[in-house]
Amino acid sequence: MNSIFFLIPLALVLGGIFAFLFILAVRDGQFDDLDDPPERILHD
Amino acid sequence: MAAAIIRGAGLERYYEERAEYAPRPGPARHGWESVPVTTLDDGTAEVRLVLDGLRCASCVWVTEHLLQQTPGVEEATVSYATGRASLRWQPDTVDLGVLAGKISALGYRPRLLGEEGKPDRGLLIRLGVAVFCAMNIMMLSVPLYLGWITSLEPRYEALFRWASLLLATPVALWCAEPFFSGAIQGLKNRVLHMDLPIAIAVAVLYVHGLIATFVGADTYLDSLAMLVALLLAGRMLEGRGRRRAAEAALSLAASVPATVRRRTETGVETVHADELEQGDLLDVGAGEEFAVDGTVVEGTGAVRMALITGEADPVAMGVGGEVVAGSTLLDGTLTVRVERVGSETTLQRMAAELRTAADRPVRLTSTDRIAPWFTGATLLVASLTAAGWLLAGNSSTALSATVAVLVVACPCALALSRPLAAAAGLGAAARRGLMFRSADGLLELDEVQTVALDKTGTVTRGELTVVSAEDEIIRLAAGLERFSMHPIARAIVAEAVEREIPLPKGEDVREEAGRGIFGRVDGREWRLMAGSPGEIVLHGDDGEMGRIVLGDAVRPDSAEAVALLVKQGLDVVLLSGDHEAVARRIADQAGIPGVEARVDPEGKAEWVRARQATGKRVAFAGDGLNDGPALAAADVGIAMGTGAASSVLVADGVISAWSLMPLVAGFRAAASASRAIRWNQVRSIGYNIVAVSAAAAGLINPLIAAILMPASSAMVIWGASRVEASMENSQA
Repeated sequence: MNSIFFLIPLALVLGGIFAFLFILAVRDGQFDDLDDPPERILHD
Repeated sequence: MAAAIIRGAGLERYYEERAEYAPRPGPARHGWESVPVTTLDDGTAEVRLVLDGLRCASCVWVTEHLLQQTPGVEEATVSYATGRASLRWQPDTVDLGVLAGKISALGYRPRLLGEEGKPDRGLLIRLGVAVFCAMNIMMLSVPLYLGWITSLEPRYEALFRWASLLLATPVALWCAEPFFSGAIQGLKNRVLHMDLPIAIAVAVLYVHGLIATFVGADTYLDSLAMLVALLLAGRMLEGRGRRRAAEAALSLAASVPATVRRRTETGVETVHADELEQGDLLDVGAGEEFAVDGTVVEGTGAVRMALITGEADPVAMGVGGEVVAGSTLLDGTLTVRVERVGSETTLQRMAAELRTAADRPVRLTSTDRIAPWFTGATLLVASLTAAGWLLAGNSSTALSATVAVLVVACPCALALSRPLAAAAGLGAAARRGLMFRSADGLLELDEVQTVALDKTGTVTRGELTVVSAEDEIIRLAAGLERFSMHPIARAIVAEAVEREIPLPKGEDVREEAGRGIFGRVDGREWRLMAGSPGEIVLHGDDGEMGRIVLGDAVRPDSAEAVALLVKQGLDVVLLSGDHEAVARRIADQAGIPGVEARVDPEGKAEWVRARQATGKRVAFAGDGLNDGPALAAADVGIAMGTGAASSVLVADGVISAWSLMPLVAGFRAAASASRAIRWNQVRSIGYNIVAVSAAAAGLINPLIAAILMPASSAMVIWGASRVEASMENSQA
């Protein structure tokens, strides 16, 4: 059971890394427009 | 491609505006100095803005109050239905940047008319972080709650609590910041903002959780994080699809050509329409559109002005005639002297006027003004609960009961009831071809009693089709025209295909400008030429063989759509600028009971206003620039996406199909969504009354409250998810 003192912080750190990547992705504009890009190929 | 369309549509101003105001409104004040304001005679300045993120009537109320209380503001009105704000202020006392800052601090995003809102990235990040933290806290909470049953070692319990606190801190302090700033702005201006109980609940829960973590009691930080995540999600759902509707519509809209053929000393060169100057001479051939306004200096032809006048019948044009950008030369060839280019063209000036016209004053719709009351009532009950239990000398129950009241009574369900159902309705309508700019447009459709339809391009196809001709004439003409891309040729060939006439092979087909088409079909010489307006004459060796009458035909499913609208108890009226006889004929074919013929564009708007004066809500569907005033005047304006770009700018909704059926679907979606909202409100209010009473009585501890709160939201989500299903039922 003692391993949990290591595992929970580890899980939080890993999760935190993904949360950080998510923030970067949003800042990049990745989620600005979720509808048009799949159709864009049809428009030109 | 999009850039080409925008340029093509003559909407260059769009880019100018974008560049000019590119620093978006928001917390930053930068950019508002450059906004063009109207200065009135008495020295006050006036501007109209669009506010994104208005959630309910109380938002309007809060914003108006806040602005009116700001020194220097003479007048501030906010329209809930359109999300538009009209401000008048003393420029010496206060500037627009300050006012815009106040609005954004309340959590609404001000922007200029005509520029589309950008997705709020900050909100998405807050939501993402809140959801991430909430999920982890939930996971950590499970053993804590289970620990109530089976005992958990204290050191593990402490670990879980501290980890929860670590995760809850950014949620409470950063993710929930919009609620705090809204509440504080409201308080500063002495108005009860809907965010106030949320902010208090978050603050109380967090402080309680902080103390409980140190003491080692139950923290309820999971409910804090879930609460914030759900509320942010509700906020996120709003206004989605708004941008998309406008953009999609713009790409469907009619355009003017990007390039033109300009005469030079020796010949003809192809240049970009942007490079034209007044006095240039342009050659325009059959089937081409005019990129500019100009005067005919040579040649004759028939011009279709539908974009401007809304009527499909071609107008005969000779030397001295005036053509406008956006109209099409159907046949003949013209040389045109450029008179006005770019933003000076009739098309562009009308579009500019329409943008202003779009900003109409709208009365407040019948919606819930309950939210501020709800806020007040919750706070009152919470403080009474606290006072009551403290007086009774039971301070631990006082805290838990007060927190329970604030948590169960959280306006979450109430606040979500509208955006969720509206989003479901918007989605349902969009899948059926009617896209709305905002949920308000859709919901208002449910209150509409009168539907006015424009004739050309709305009830009818808005393009040339064969109205009458003998099969043999069609067959011969189609043989001559089968390889031409001219609109008339396409109409004739389409008619032949529809009548299942096998297309004969044309030989030696040649087109002679201004004289018609010559060629051999079945071994005989034929000549196809323009007759009186709207007629094509086929000549054989021995004179005239027959005529093809061209005109505008009713869309195949218009009659069905109108019948469905009438069946829903709506008063359907056809508004047309055309002659009585033509309008009547179209109305009969489409089964429209009411006809108003010979109405000019302004007359259509007048008609709509007259109808509204009798207390009716009016929806108007139309295309073309000429419908702009009526689209703006109507309670719900719906543009055909195939029509003029500018009509799309002023409309609340856009039909993306060549049909009126999406309109019927829109009414159904509106009815369905409104019903879902009403039921959701009834459910959430009922829930609140029961739960708050129980919580105040100390019957519910914060843990149960935290379970009930998402349950009430789930109830509302369930209600919203039934929108589509109930729409299907109403179709049966």
